[in-house]
Amino acid sequence: MVNWLTLAVPFAYLGVLLGSLATFSSLYRKRKARKSLSLEPWFPPHTQRDIYFSLLHLDPSASNDASKNPNGKKLPSSVPDSVLKSALLRRAIEDIKRVMALRTQKGALAMLLQRGSVGDDLWQRFLRAEKEMEDEVRDVVAEANAYVPGWGQTIFQSANEMLNNAIFRERMEKQQAKLEEEKQWWEKRKEGYMKELDVEAEKKEEVVEEAGEKKPATAASTTTSEEGSGVPTPATKTPESSGAPPSVAGSDDDAVLVEADEQNAGKK
Amino acid sequence: MSTDYNYDDKGQFFPFFVLTLTSLVTLPLTYNLLRPSKGLENTAPRIKSEFKPEHAELIEAQKRKRLRKERRIKRIITVVVGYAVMAWMAYLIVVTARTVPKVWDPYDILGVSRSADEKAISRHYKRLSLIYHPDKIRPDPAKNETIEMLNERFVELTKAYKALTDEEIRNNYIQYGHPDGKQSMSIGIALPTFIVSEGNSKYTLLVYGALLGVLLPYIVGKWWYGSQRYTKERVLVASAGNIFREYKEDITDGGIVNALSSGAEFKEMLQGPKTDAGLAKLEKKVLAEDSTFLSPEDREIIKGLDESSRRKALALLWAYLGRVDLEDSTLNGEKYEAAPIALSLNEAFTAIALAFGNVRPILGSFRTSQHLIQAVAPGSSPLLQLPHFTEEVVKSVEGADAKEHFTVQKFMSIPEDKRRSLTVGAGLMSEKQYTSAVTVAKQLPVLEVSRAFFKVMGEKVITPSSLVQLVVKARFIPPGYSGDVPPVNPIDLEDIDPDEDDLDAIMGRKPAKNKTTKLVNGVKVEEKVEAIQPPLAHAPYLARDHSPRWHIFLADAKQGKMAVPPFTFTTFDKPLFDADGKPTFNVQTLKMQFQAPPQVGDFTFVMNMLCDSHLGLDTKMEITLHIDDPAKAAALDEEDDISEPDEDSIAGQMQALKTGQPPKKKTKKPSDDSSDDDESDTDGDAGDTSDTNTETDVDD
Repeated sequence: MVNWLTLAVPFAYLGVLLGSLATFSSLYRKRKARKSLSLEPWFPPHTQRDIYFSLLHLDPSASNDASKNPNGKKLPSSVPDSVLKSALLRRAIEDIKRVMALRTQKGALAMLLQRGSVGDDLWQRFLRAEKEMEDEVRDVVAEANAYVPGWGQTIFQSANEMLNNAIFRERMEKQQAKLEEEKQWWEKRKEGYMKELDVEAEKKEEVVEEAGEKKPATAASTTTSEEGSGVPTPATKTPESSGAPPSVAGSDDDAVLVEADEQNAGKK
Repeated sequence: MSTDYNYDDKGQFFPFFVLTLTSLVTLPLTYNLLRPSKGLENTAPRIKSEFKPEHAELIEAQKRKRLRKERRIKRIITVVVGYAVMAWMAYLIVVTARTVPKVWDPYDILGVSRSADEKAISRHYKRLSLIYHPDKIRPDPAKNETIEMLNERFVELTKAYKALTDEEIRNNYIQYGHPDGKQSMSIGIALPTFIVSEGNSKYTLLVYGALLGVLLPYIVGKWWYGSQRYTKERVLVASAGNIFREYKEDITDGGIVNALSSGAEFKEMLQGPKTDAGLAKLEKKVLAEDSTFLSPEDREIIKGLDESSRRKALALLWAYLGRVDLEDSTLNGEKYEAAPIALSLNEAFTAIALAFGNVRPILGSFRTSQHLIQAVAPGSSPLLQLPHFTEEVVKSVEGADAKEHFTVQKFMSIPEDKRRSLTVGAGLMSEKQYTSAVTVAKQLPVLEVSRAFFKVMGEKVITPSSLVQLVVKARFIPPGYSGDVPPVNPIDLEDIDPDEDDLDAIMGRKPAKNKTTKLVNGVKVEEKVEAIQPPLAHAPYLARDHSPRWHIFLADAKQGKMAVPPFTFTTFDKPLFDADGKPTFNVQTLKMQFQAPPQVGDFTFVMNMLCDSHLGLDTKMEITLHIDDPAKAAALDEEDDISEPDEDSIAGQMQALKTGQPPKKKTKKPSDDSSDDDESDTDGDAGDTSDTNTETDVDD
């Protein structure tokens, strides 16, 4: 005679044990999945990609409209191919920026994680961003190949060149923007020097008391007015004061060179 | 032996048990609480200054708030409860009557004195047996006696007698304390019986289960997740993540302040209604047209932020840096509360910048710490660190359209009367304010490098991949003392290797115990080395005490990358100021150790030395590391006097056995170094003036 009750006890025990473990595991996994879903994205929204896709998806509706045309002729696309291509290039540029950022951050982030200076979920977010970018790059290559076979191999090269160009131009503009400020500062400074020199000059004049020195003074005043400073220069000057204007001219020359550079860059 | 355990049903051992356990926890905690805090900030001297900034009471309030937070209320409560429990247990111990277990004593039973000899004992026993033998006496009903009791008494008497006379039984008595041999042993458990009594077992189990199954996991979990909330720099993990994302390769002053405002600590500080309270007013004040401390980009950043708590945090930080009066004591209080938070967040930023290794952000992070401590906006004059200095005074000193700012050193090197005329006047400072500013300036710890060189301990040259020491010899020369600084003693610029038996010093665990300086005339001078703290940073606006730290790191100028991570110095080996507060101009030694590159050649580094608390005290110099071929090093070693042992020493004998000829007396090569002249045989010349200094002259 089998005592069913006593036999049931170990099974019940096993059941409770395994059941609780299974519940814990599933709850834990669900929670983890939810957590990784709620991870903040690494990068801000990818505007260039969104633009590209919205351009791409303009097609069907437009073509539908076209099919209703009385002509009955199907238009190839309302968005010209060149626009789509350039949108794809823009997207590739943004991708390069992001891939570069990820690449520089990876080593530092791994080191910080090891040291305990950043948390684990930052690393999770980073890994997810990396995976996303991989897929994104693959997608861009595939799209490019769809337009022109073989373009996928070179699209990122050209995008990189465009990016570098943009960076250089930005830097140049930054320097250029300082020009006006520096110019004003220098004018002000020069004025101060001039005044000092004038005081000295007046002293000298008092000592020398000579009136036949008008020629160099006028020459100096013409050089300054050429620079468009509009500073009323005193009529009398000693030869020493002409030390200042050449340096101003030099800085102007520099500015001209920079401008020329910029134009060249723009042509590229 | 009985297997039954006795429980402490009379409650006499239980208090002992509890008392011991409680004291095990309470006593160490008490020590921990009462121990004088050894933090840098608590032991350092202060820069003397009577300067009280505007809103000094608000800053003080913030300081007190911070202290209260650090006071560890929980620990205090635990200790108090612990002492209460201990007192109660002690009371229980005193009150409870103790049952003393009876010790079987034959002398006592027989009623003889312990000094009685065998004869006396047997005589006494005989007399007693005549009285107490059961055949002789009757049980006395008046005393409630039975025949058994009489029998027993007599057996006891006999046992006692035998224990003292019979050899075997005596042995038993000595060994086990009882003439019958080993007695049953009882083990007691110091738990009150009610815990194990039949009816209570359910509750006991329940309590046990609650303790082990609920409380323990809860405590462990709380500790674990609590420790996971913070990073190594004691910053919230979320903040570290945000700052990491804000990091850019070309991030500098304003950008760093913006990155710091992303810290989650600010969100905690500005919870609830505080988030938006006064935000409009604050922004109006900070973004006012005439606030020169804000660059246009930083202005745009503030305007471009969406999140209002971050926007407020950033605006508060800028208000603090620009010393803007917000005309509202709550806002002003928040302003002073934000700065120490930003300062601790800056540590996380520094760690991140170091991991990336780009020099500009690293320098930027140290500079941001200076700005935050001194409440000086990036790009403003370092002169604002001095008390009573305002933008107008600075303008008067520097001239209206100066491009570069004066450092405090430069300001103090202006002749006294000119300096006074520049700063004292209507709309500027009063005579008294000028004096107080100059007093503070004269106490600033400006560290001036006298010499910096590389060396390998105990070697003449630096070989590839060896452990190199960068030795920096520097002096504290406060601003305004440049005229009366004595010249540097050349001996102070040498670096002496520690004694060979001073392992700690050699391993770099601590400075050499007693440096032996060998002077030119051969007299050894013992120097005691101790850790001297520089005074606390003069930071009247910071709601926290801060001890200045100096960071030295090497950078590769060509790549803009860090080459050797910073070493931080908080204490120095010689006093900075003497008893009267006058600078001593002692030469301080700063050392950092790192591994040399694996290639042979010259490596040029830029050495950056930064103080994290004062502006304009940074030093930057080029320094060349010359790495020699190991073969050359070996050749040099062979020429060395030391390696050639004397004929009469053991090493010399060994040498003779090996080479087959006794070593020559070393007479042919008189050393050019006078300190090397004296006897230096195989037992090592510990403490010899190190001649391993390579030819990397960087004095300029």
